[in-house]
Amino acid sequence: MRDWSRLAASCLAALVASAPAHAQDETSASTLYGDLQSVTQSMLSRAAGDGNNFLHTNGNYAQTRYYPASQINTGNVRNLRPAWIFQTDIVDSMETSPIVVNGVMYITTAFNEVYAIDARTGAQIWHHKHSMGPVTTYCCGPNNRGVAVAGDKVFMGTLDAKLVALDAKTGKQLWETQIADAELGYSETMAPSVVENMVLIGTNGGEYGIRGFVKAFDTETGELIWTFNTVPEDSVGVWATHDATGRDMHRDIDAEKASLESMGDPYETLGGGVWQNPAVDLAERRIYFVVGNPSPDLDGSLRPGDNLYTDSLVSVNLDTGEYVCHFQYIAHDVWDLDAVSPPIITTVKDDAGNDVKGILHGGKTGHVYVHKADDCSLIRYSEAMVPQEDMWTLPTAEGARMLPGANGGVEWSPMAIDPSLHLTYAINLHQPMTYTVRSTPYPEGKIWLGGSFDVIPDEAQWGNITAVDYNTGDIAWQVRTAEPMIGGVLATAGGLVFTGEGNGLFKAYDSSNGGELWRFQAGAGVNAPPSSYTVEGQQYIVVAAGGNSQLNYKRGNNIIAFTLAD
Amino acid sequence: MTLRSARLLVLLAATALAPPASAKDGFVLDDEVAICAGCHGEDGVPVDPEYPAIWGQQYFYIYTQLRDYAAGRRENEIMTGVAAEYDKDQAKQLAEHFAAQTWPAIPSQAQDGDEALANTAFTAAQCSACHGKWQGDSRIPRLAGQQAGYLSKTMHDFKTEVRMNAPDMSNIMKQYDEPTIEAMARYLSSLVLH
Repeated sequence: MRDWSRLAASCLAALVASAPAHAQDETSASTLYGDLQSVTQSMLSRAAGDGNNFLHTNGNYAQTRYYPASQINTGNVRNLRPAWIFQTDIVDSMETSPIVVNGVMYITTAFNEVYAIDARTGAQIWHHKHSMGPVTTYCCGPNNRGVAVAGDKVFMGTLDAKLVALDAKTGKQLWETQIADAELGYSETMAPSVVENMVLIGTNGGEYGIRGFVKAFDTETGELIWTFNTVPEDSVGVWATHDATGRDMHRDIDAEKASLESMGDPYETLGGGVWQNPAVDLAERRIYFVVGNPSPDLDGSLRPGDNLYTDSLVSVNLDTGEYVCHFQYIAHDVWDLDAVSPPIITTVKDDAGNDVKGILHGGKTGHVYVHKADDCSLIRYSEAMVPQEDMWTLPTAEGARMLPGANGGVEWSPMAIDPSLHLTYAINLHQPMTYTVRSTPYPEGKIWLGGSFDVIPDEAQWGNITAVDYNTGDIAWQVRTAEPMIGGVLATAGGLVFTGEGNGLFKAYDSSNGGELWRFQAGAGVNAPPSSYTVEGQQYIVVAAGGNSQLNYKRGNNIIAFTLAD
Repeated sequence: MTLRSARLLVLLAATALAPPASAKDGFVLDDEVAICAGCHGEDGVPVDPEYPAIWGQQYFYIYTQLRDYAAGRRENEIMTGVAAEYDKDQAKQLAEHFAAQTWPAIPSQAQDGDEALANTAFTAAQCSACHGKWQGDSRIPRLAGQQAGYLSKTMHDFKTEVRMNAPDMSNIMKQYDEPTIEAMARYLSSLVLH
């Protein structure tokens, strides 16, 4: 039998000796596999410094996706090898962020299956299949982005618009609650977040004429605690004519006002889904999330006004769900260039050069937006990470070309940051499209785009990994990829950035300069956010390779964990 | 008169005799299933290439189509009258029955080049965002193994706005030419179900 404590100590010593000069707030001695201790609020709150577990979808409450362990680093990443491969029963699009608690990993698949896996070996511990109701309505693919963990429970949102709580030790369902009516277009693909006694979750449905929300449910009972409607009953706003970057959006305000007079406020079917987890500021008792597109996506004639709070960063009170502040990027969006990538809390420079608490968001427009956390106001926006052409050309009946295409920019893919470099890392899509509008009435739960966005087949598509200095808005480095990027990014204290591609490549880059340091061919699209963890002294990088429905990347069913070769 | 025309006349006469009701009087599931079999096949294989296979189709899709026919959101010379007789519960019973049947094996073969042309079209319109791997799910119909003639007719009906109960499909189909639609229909029809 190996002496794990000695091994852990030697690994930690090696880690200290080989680690580059990156901040590492707190990395405790490695935990042993399988003690299955409860996930305490203290663990969740201190996750940013936890180099053993991966407790939140985006690493920690600030959603930095900056992992503090550095055993795997720029000096040795070339020795990264698969430790194990776990194959799920479902061969379909995978967007799960693996969650790791004391050596036990929780992952989800399309159609809401959950697996608990021994994170050392890849051996299955349990498998839960959600009992799906007969009615599901979802976009864009039967995806699920993972679980939340707290106490002895695992929480998941489902395609039939339920929230379920499972026993972390057995996978048995403890309770379920219906979040909204799936027949009207509500569904869940996002991972929930847990704070104290609350499970927080938004909703999909911006392509189906829902009225979006974020809700808080009791962790023990599933009972509703509060609801914040992302579309207020007065959704009109200030009749903004320019976007967040000052460009004219060519709105016909007079026509919209006339429509408002005749049809009233369209808030009941105005969309405003929330695709990704909120960032949580426990000190200020606030959460920050971004709200998706208005419904119907391309047809503004049926929804006069700014369509608040679609396409916005929104902050609400953690305990009550009461509105605190918002910032709208695009009022009355008719391009589906909405806000979906999860926001990040970090310290940023304000215009005067002072350190302030800031919020970062990677927009489908192709900009990284930098906000002041206290009032949501915009400090700066970055250089465009993808080509922008003819913004904002209005959709036409024949189809009008404009860049970026409707997938962005930055899709739902979470960014990561390295606070020591004040860089944020985004993955981008360049997909030239035409925007076509065609007005049709609300179809009661069927897809409602109000037109179409169509890829221009003879124009080249590609992707980027882009590092943006959030204190200046400048692009620090950028690497081109063969295909548009969707999935997510992980940065580590080892000076590394990990992200995958639709062609199956999973790569590590030097976070300071974008140099490619390692790659692996996974055999199916790597279109999910990577995670990291350390167990018994060994750091791992783990990612799902299941392809993607939206971009039609090759499907698979693999969870692949990598560690350094002996 | 062809066999198909004769069946049409029988069905049209049957549906014309009874005005639409909130619930079909004397509804007996087996009797209704027998009427459906006249077109959709006693063994699940439709009697005409332009009729859809409905055995093993998604429950909620079948139910939604019946309600759309009844409400006039989708029109068909036979189905409009048939569906108008059913109330919601009766439509659900029929949808449950057919969804529970085994999808029929209907021989179909794609031509050289169909798969490449179809996949280019699928990617351009992001078809798999809703249709996934073509097996269907809830309100999304199963397309894999469906009759090529029906798939072609349906895509054309969307394109020409004959079929109006899924308006965004019309927006998508308008961008496709005849060879692309035929290639998609043949390719989807040839897919083996899992």
